[in-house]
Amino acid sequence: MDDLFTIVNTASTLFANNILAKPEFFIGILVFIGYMLLGKPIYEAFGGFIKAAVGMMIWNVGSGGLVTTFRPILAGLNERFHLNAAVIDPYFGLNAAGEAIKMIGMSLSWTMISLMVGFSWNIILVLLRRYTKLRTLFLTGHIMIQQATTCTWIIFFAIPELRNFTGALWIGLLVGTYWAVFSNLTVEPTEELTENAGFAIGHQQMFWVWVTSKLAPKLGNPERSVENIKMPRWLTMFNDNVIATGTLMLLFFGIIMTILGEPYLRGIDKAGFPATLAFPTYILGKSLSFAVYLFILISGVRMFVSELTESFRGISEKLLPGALPAVDCAATYGFSSPNTVLFGFIFGCIGQFIAIAGLFIFQAPIMIITGFVPVFFDNATVAVFANKFGGARAATILALGTGMLQVIGGGFAAWFFELYKFGGWHGNIDWDTLWPVIGVLLKTFSTPGLILVIVLMLMIPQLQYRRSHNKENYFKLTDGSEF
Amino acid sequence: MIKVVAACGNGMGSSQIIKMKIAKVFKKLGIEATIDHMSVGEAKSAASGYDVVFCGASLVGNFTVKNNRTKIIGLVNLLSEAEIEEKVKENGLK
Repeated sequence: MDDLFTIVNTASTLFANNILAKPEFFIGILVFIGYMLLGKPIYEAFGGFIKAAVGMMIWNVGSGGLVTTFRPILAGLNERFHLNAAVIDPYFGLNAAGEAIKMIGMSLSWTMISLMVGFSWNIILVLLRRYTKLRTLFLTGHIMIQQATTCTWIIFFAIPELRNFTGALWIGLLVGTYWAVFSNLTVEPTEELTENAGFAIGHQQMFWVWVTSKLAPKLGNPERSVENIKMPRWLTMFNDNVIATGTLMLLFFGIIMTILGEPYLRGIDKAGFPATLAFPTYILGKSLSFAVYLFILISGVRMFVSELTESFRGISEKLLPGALPAVDCAATYGFSSPNTVLFGFIFGCIGQFIAIAGLFIFQAPIMIITGFVPVFFDNATVAVFANKFGGARAATILALGTGMLQVIGGGFAAWFFELYKFGGWHGNIDWDTLWPVIGVLLKTFSTPGLILVIVLMLMIPQLQYRRSHNKENYFKLTDGSEF
Repeated sequence: MIKVVAACGNGMGSSQIIKMKIAKVFKKLGIEATIDHMSVGEAKSAASGYDVVFCGASLVGNFTVKNNRTKIIGLVNLLSEAEIEEKVKENGLK
């Protein structure tokens, strides 16, 4: 008996130190098991293991590069001006939350467990649709990784008792409820926008899409569409994420490094800033290296997420054929004119810049740096929906407002969740509005607060069903069959 | 065997959706292909090495490929297999 106990004990220690503590192998094994369960040949499952593990290791390289590039700048801002800075972008946020989780001695494998729990919970909630009134399955892999990671940090931060396996289960339930409930909330506006194209939004601005669809009709006239507004041709270059990210980084870090000053930077970065290098060259190189590490991180995430998404889709097609897929917000862009997307981006940018200036003027303890993903994708999506329901006027007002809220809410969240220490916050609009509120509730009421949040979220689809004008069609699919 | 790339804003979400949908349609039509997915930024530089670029309709304007090989196909509904099938046939892919 004692022997058996020793063996089990050794095995679990071995597992904890070599698999759980190494998320790259943990996620690789998950993908491997997923592929085997889907009945794929073993060589494909092995390939999936390799790509998932390598992808996650590439992510680590990008993440490490971001951290070392960022550290002297964050330290400088703090030392010279008592300022903290955070980039509001989900990849910077992913990096910051990941570092924070590691700092408290936890592993990102917990996030992967939460992710699996969240995905399974979403499936269960849709299987029980007669009672839950939920119809949508969240299938956007990269978003699920980012949100599960940020959510892991929020709970580990707000409720330290939950820094364990039970906590991972709770995180999964919380994030899975958010996925199911809020993607379900986008069904009606998305169906109206796309004339029943058969998908919902599963992204970072689901709550905000609903808010937009409610506010836009009051703010303008859908007849006066953005489509008729001519946009300058040069703006289309910001469709290119490399150009857009590089430009934003150059703008913001150029200003920050100029303010920190040449003598100071020469002092703290002796190796990177030798006497032979001129200050403008140094700024250009440093700023663009943020973009470089960001793209390394993104390509790593892309590699393992594409494995994950394939298995998720396979599982969902087996268990839930016909569930409405909740997908990337960019899937709606085809249902609007190309200039609506750029229109949202520009007004979102203006909104963010105004709010950042506001933070300066009112001497907020935190400085926000615009990241590409929220300012582009959130505001483009807001503009697409606002334009549909309220025309150009609504698109202008709502994109401006969203940009401002991203900075104010994101600044609050980076400060409240203490992720400014790692220079990033998730930054997409739901994470600057809804999630800070959830975070405050969790911090104040601990586990009872967590249960309350989940229950409150689950009540939303009940209200949605009760208020729907067309109850017979609530569960009807686009092809007319009953789901 | 044709080379296909699916492109979207950041090369993460939508391009993966398009990729999975194209793979399904190609299988149905018996077209053999390797399919990659990436961001528009990357795809702009890589496009001339592919036979077809699939992207959202609003992104077509980003591609200016001047050769006889590469076709650019813009999709309105990224999830519609019917639309992909129709455009594949329209462009005579095989």
